[in-house]
Amino acid sequence: MIRFDNVSVTYRGGVKALRGLDLTVEEGEFVVIVGLSGAGKSTLLRALNGLVPATEGSITVNETEVVGASAAKLREIRSKIGMIFQTFNLVHRTTVLNNVLMGRLSAVPAWRSTFGLWPEKDREKAMQSLERVGIVEKAYVRASDLSGGQQQRVGIARALAQDPLIMLADEPVAALDPITSRQVMTDLQRINEDLGITTLVNLHFLDLAREYGKRLIGLREGELVFDGDIADVTDETFQQIYGRSITEEDLLTTETRND
Amino acid sequence: MLATIPSKPQNKRLRWLLAAILLAGAVWSIMGLEVTLARLLNAPSDAWNILHRMIPPAFGEVHQRGVVEKVFESVYIAWIGTVIGAVVSLPLAFLAAMNVSPRWIRVPIRQIFNVVRAVPELIMAVIFIPITGLGPWAGGLAIGIHSVGTLGKWAYEAIEDSDDGPVEAVESCGGAWISEMRWGVLPQVMPTITSYWLFRFEINVRASAVLGMIGAGGVGSELVSQLQFRNFPEVGAVLIITIAMVLTVDTLSGMVRRRIISGSEPTKDRNQEAVIDLTGIRTR
Amino acid sequence: MTEISNSRPVRPRPKLRTFLVAAFLIVFTVFSARKVGFSFSTFWEMWSNPLWEKFWPVPWEWIFDRHNVVDPLLETFQIAIISTLIGCSLALPISFAISSLTTPNRPTYFVTKAVMNIVRAIPDLFWAKLLVTAIGIGAFAGSWALSIFSLAVMVKLFSETIDGADPRPLEAARAAGGRHAPSVSTGVFPTVFPAYVAYALYVFELNIRASIVLGLVGAGGIGRVVEAQRQYFRFDRVLGVLLIIFVIVLVIEQVSVALRKRLI
Repeated sequence: MIRFDNVSVTYRGGVKALRGLDLTVEEGEFVVIVGLSGAGKSTLLRALNGLVPATEGSITVNETEVVGASAAKLREIRSKIGMIFQTFNLVHRTTVLNNVLMGRLSAVPAWRSTFGLWPEKDREKAMQSLERVGIVEKAYVRASDLSGGQQQRVGIARALAQDPLIMLADEPVAALDPITSRQVMTDLQRINEDLGITTLVNLHFLDLAREYGKRLIGLREGELVFDGDIADVTDETFQQIYGRSITEEDLLTTETRND
Repeated sequence: MLATIPSKPQNKRLRWLLAAILLAGAVWSIMGLEVTLARLLNAPSDAWNILHRMIPPAFGEVHQRGVVEKVFESVYIAWIGTVIGAVVSLPLAFLAAMNVSPRWIRVPIRQIFNVVRAVPELIMAVIFIPITGLGPWAGGLAIGIHSVGTLGKWAYEAIEDSDDGPVEAVESCGGAWISEMRWGVLPQVMPTITSYWLFRFEINVRASAVLGMIGAGGVGSELVSQLQFRNFPEVGAVLIITIAMVLTVDTLSGMVRRRIISGSEPTKDRNQEAVIDLTGIRTR
Repeated sequence: MTEISNSRPVRPRPKLRTFLVAAFLIVFTVFSARKVGFSFSTFWEMWSNPLWEKFWPVPWEWIFDRHNVVDPLLETFQIAIISTLIGCSLALPISFAISSLTTPNRPTYFVTKAVMNIVRAIPDLFWAKLLVTAIGIGAFAGSWALSIFSLAVMVKLFSETIDGADPRPLEAARAAGGRHAPSVSTGVFPTVFPAYVAYALYVFELNIRASIVLGLVGAGGIGRVVEAQRQYFRFDRVLGVLLIIFVIVLVIEQVSVALRKRLI
């Protein structure tokens, strides 16, 4: 269970990215977070695994406090939280398998991973993760030789290799074309359903949010302005979250708007 | 209001100032160096005279004196110096890069690089020769230490230019600092840094040739002794052999550098960019 | 993705070439180390050499005596200034001659480029030693040597910049019926001039560094003090001069970097 209790994040320079956020996510939920850029979506996810330190309040992941945790404690918390990124964040000049093995870093002694002496069971784990996203064929290919969609699948496999309890996805499809976007979202949905991994996804395409989400969270200027079942969401809800009317740019495909 | 003054006239004033400084500097230098018209006019003919006497080069004689050995000794000195520089500078560069290292550790290490870089190899060899004795080891050590400074600086700049994304990914997986460096940064920067090492090797070959002139091993000693006895055909041969060595190393090393770099970014001629970077003129 | 069959690939075997290259590098390094006389024991022993004590204390009153250090130091600057001016002004026409964009004709291009490559392949102190033999010991020979060498370096840097310049203004000037030299000076020169100034500053920096050591081969400047004092085994004075040199190199570099930033 994830619990945000009155969490605020103020960046150096005084920008307030989150203001007094309260939020509880139960195990196995699939939560989609929407909001304009700058509304605090990325900060919310990064505060959860401590990449961005919360300046106020308390964040607990399965009863473990994230705010103010020591470096070692943070690494332990992060080892159970997978994260995938808008820009994939792969190391281009090494193999797909090495990229996925990075998900095992917290489980392998540093001297072994540093020299690339990964234990056989961790290699096996990485291979299984690649199989789950259907890209094991490319295990020994250099990451830079893959297409965008394939790279994001490697990103998902890397997170899966962590054996995570929680999966954070920060705009996972913003850099992808519509068809690939749906495939990646389907992957995330399947992983959530098959493995019961709690999933939080930032999206800026509202139609994708409606299509894949179960629970919707709306952020506006760092504050929680909507939290509810996706079934209750109407165009007015989105307008309320965005503070403006919905345009075509907020949708992945214009056709879905009409159905 | 100061901020509204357009920058152009100010720039122009700076240029005039520079021009005046240049002129004054030129006059001062010419007076100080006692450049007279007679000396100026005689110099080319004196130089030509020597060049003339170098032909034909006496390859046989210098070969008998073991010039080939000396040439290879220069290459060995340059190589050992480069290896020392590379091995020592690589870990230090990670501790000196702004994006991956805290301030209290990066500032002193950068100072070490700056200090080491500011001492020319020759001066360093002058210090080491009384300690190590005349010979190639003084040269290898001088080149090695100087290379730590330059290679360290270039390497930490490469690290600072690297993409933060993979580092963030390793961090989010719960990896330690060493893992962030090994898997997040190293694969990104290794091609660039390797090409810097090779580039430094090319520079070091020239430096080690020069070091021989003060007794730190290599082909320079041969040039000095032949010039001392004014054996100009032998001097010509040594010069040609040195040119051949330098050009061969440049060509081979350049080929390898281009191969290493070609895999990383196809957009620009990274090789030329590297040269410009290395000469300290960063255009990006 | 559907186009990828989901079966595990065979782990590729490490390439033979990788092993060969690695083996060659290791063997070459070990071989070089032995030839150069490197061993870890000599490395550690040298720090406990009693001779180090001869470097200390630095005789500051000797260092700050005008004739001992200041005059040779001024000579160093004079050599650097004059050779930068000569080298860089000669480099201007030559660079345009050997850039593929602006060369007047092919023979000029090839001959000049070959000569410049050879000039650059001879290290700067070799030039100094040769010219000392040819025209006598002193700063005059040193200035010649550095002029020649900085000419070659400047030509290399600047001609490559001209190669990369936008060819369209040149085409326009030629299309308007301009002759070669005026077309180049109006069409290309303004775009590459800032780079020229920046390179000139860089070459000046190089020349300062080089002119410091010229004296070691008898070509004038502060290096001759180092050379003379090391002949007398006065390593304390050598260290003092070295510290002065060190400060100057640091200051020059900072100034040069700051100026280049303003100019580009």
